[in-house]
Amino acid sequence: MSREALRGLLGGALLVLLWEGVACGFALPSYTLPAVSEILASIWVQRANLITGGATTLLEALAGYAFGTAIGITLATVIIVLPWSRSAILPVVMAVNSVPVAAYSPLVLLWFGIGVSSKIALVTLAVGFTVFLSALAGFDRVDRRSVDLLRSFGAGQASVLWRLRLPAALPLIAAGMRVATVRSLIVAIVTEMLGAQSGLGWIIYQAVVGIDFVGVWSAIFVASALSLAFFGVIGWIERKVIFWR
Amino acid sequence: MSAALALTARRGAAGWRWAAPALLWLGRLILGLAIAAAVWEGAVLAFAIRPEYLPRLSAILATIAATPEAYVAGFLRTLLETLIGFAAGVVVGVLNGILFLRAPVLRDMLFPIFVVSQTIPVIAFGALVVLWFGNTLLAKAVIAFYLTFFPVTVNTLLGLQSVDPRQIALLRSFGASGRQLLLRLMLPAALPQIFVALRLGASLSLVGAIVGEWFGDTTGLGVILLQAMYTEQVTVMWAAILCAALLGTGFYAAVSLAERWLVFWGAEQ
Repeated sequence: MSREALRGLLGGALLVLLWEGVACGFALPSYTLPAVSEILASIWVQRANLITGGATTLLEALAGYAFGTAIGITLATVIIVLPWSRSAILPVVMAVNSVPVAAYSPLVLLWFGIGVSSKIALVTLAVGFTVFLSALAGFDRVDRRSVDLLRSFGAGQASVLWRLRLPAALPLIAAGMRVATVRSLIVAIVTEMLGAQSGLGWIIYQAVVGIDFVGVWSAIFVASALSLAFFGVIGWIERKVIFWR
Repeated sequence: MSAALALTARRGAAGWRWAAPALLWLGRLILGLAIAAAVWEGAVLAFAIRPEYLPRLSAILATIAATPEAYVAGFLRTLLETLIGFAAGVVVGVLNGILFLRAPVLRDMLFPIFVVSQTIPVIAFGALVVLWFGNTLLAKAVIAFYLTFFPVTVNTLLGLQSVDPRQIALLRSFGASGRQLLLRLMLPAALPQIFVALRLGASLSLVGAIVGEWFGDTTGLGVILLQAMYTEQVTVMWAAILCAALLGTGFYAAVSLAERWLVFWGAEQ
């Protein structure tokens, strides 16, 4: 194991020890800071509930992530293929994007109801922006002269896009997609807290209302673990696909 | 020295020269806004979109004009929370970056924890912060801070690490102290990279402030949003969204302007 990884593990272990020590040593009430052991025990007790909630949240996040990525890349491709559409699409996207996504969640809840679809819609929006902006930056990064060179050899627009622009843009697209993983879960949870039938956000909301702060921490731990796993999977795929980096 | 000369020269020559492009830019901005407003108003009328989905822009503006005090108060409150959280996040982020550069052991130990901390859904964290700090302005600022400090830390570290080692060696050979090295060479060199994070943090700190207000406050744009949701007043909701857009864009523009001014050698990407 590398030295960095060992140090990282050491840091994590120290944090857990410190946390446990402070929580137990000062006998802090659980609404201030519950001990890590207490939280883990609570996760085990509530595992059925947390698994169902986590599955709902993950489903919403994954569906929105898939839609958002597809829409983001498609929109960026449209702008590249039809350059005149840039001045029409970009200002609209920027205007919508100037509002923090969280501010749309009450509106989207009213439009789509408190079911799964409102969360998927909002995750799609958040992921779509991130991926669109990084994809566009990636496509734009290509050297004008390289495009002209390929053109002079008789390459069509499709082939320039496929052989030159896409490979050049992939590292940036992948970076956007990696950032979007964590964002997708957070947006799903934020929207669930404002109104839902199930999901981690809903569990957190109920725990807050019931002043069950060990419950809040349990759901936070699960959400964090899910985000890290999603992040790891996308990072792994990225390393497989973008082998030339 | 040469940087200082360049700065004075630029300030001297600037005078009226930047005024014309600025006016042109302002004109285009107003024209763009006018077109957007016309398209919005026209689309709602033409497609007969029901107001519970998308109200007319004029109706939204009329709502704001009816009770401007509530929106102004909410705007200022949210702005204050955003600014405090942002400022704290920038200071802590830059200090973290410097610390991590000086002490790689600390970096290796703390960085993974920072990464994990960013996977915590901000709203769940918000519930805890409000509990810890009470339902105060400070609690909202803490949430904004929590979202800002991480990107600033990462980019400060990246920027400091990318300083040309030959430049450091040169300054060292002239007998520059560690502090001079940091203030005169490394931080200015890292500035373009840091500003990328500041622009990101400008948006994120606003999210933190708005979400923080959802835990029962009395003023703020987030409060207006939430109350409008419970009473299903879509027009009020859109009014709050417009205010948030104004706040977000204004703050982002201010940070970009500061970037233009401070990173005048034009290393922007």
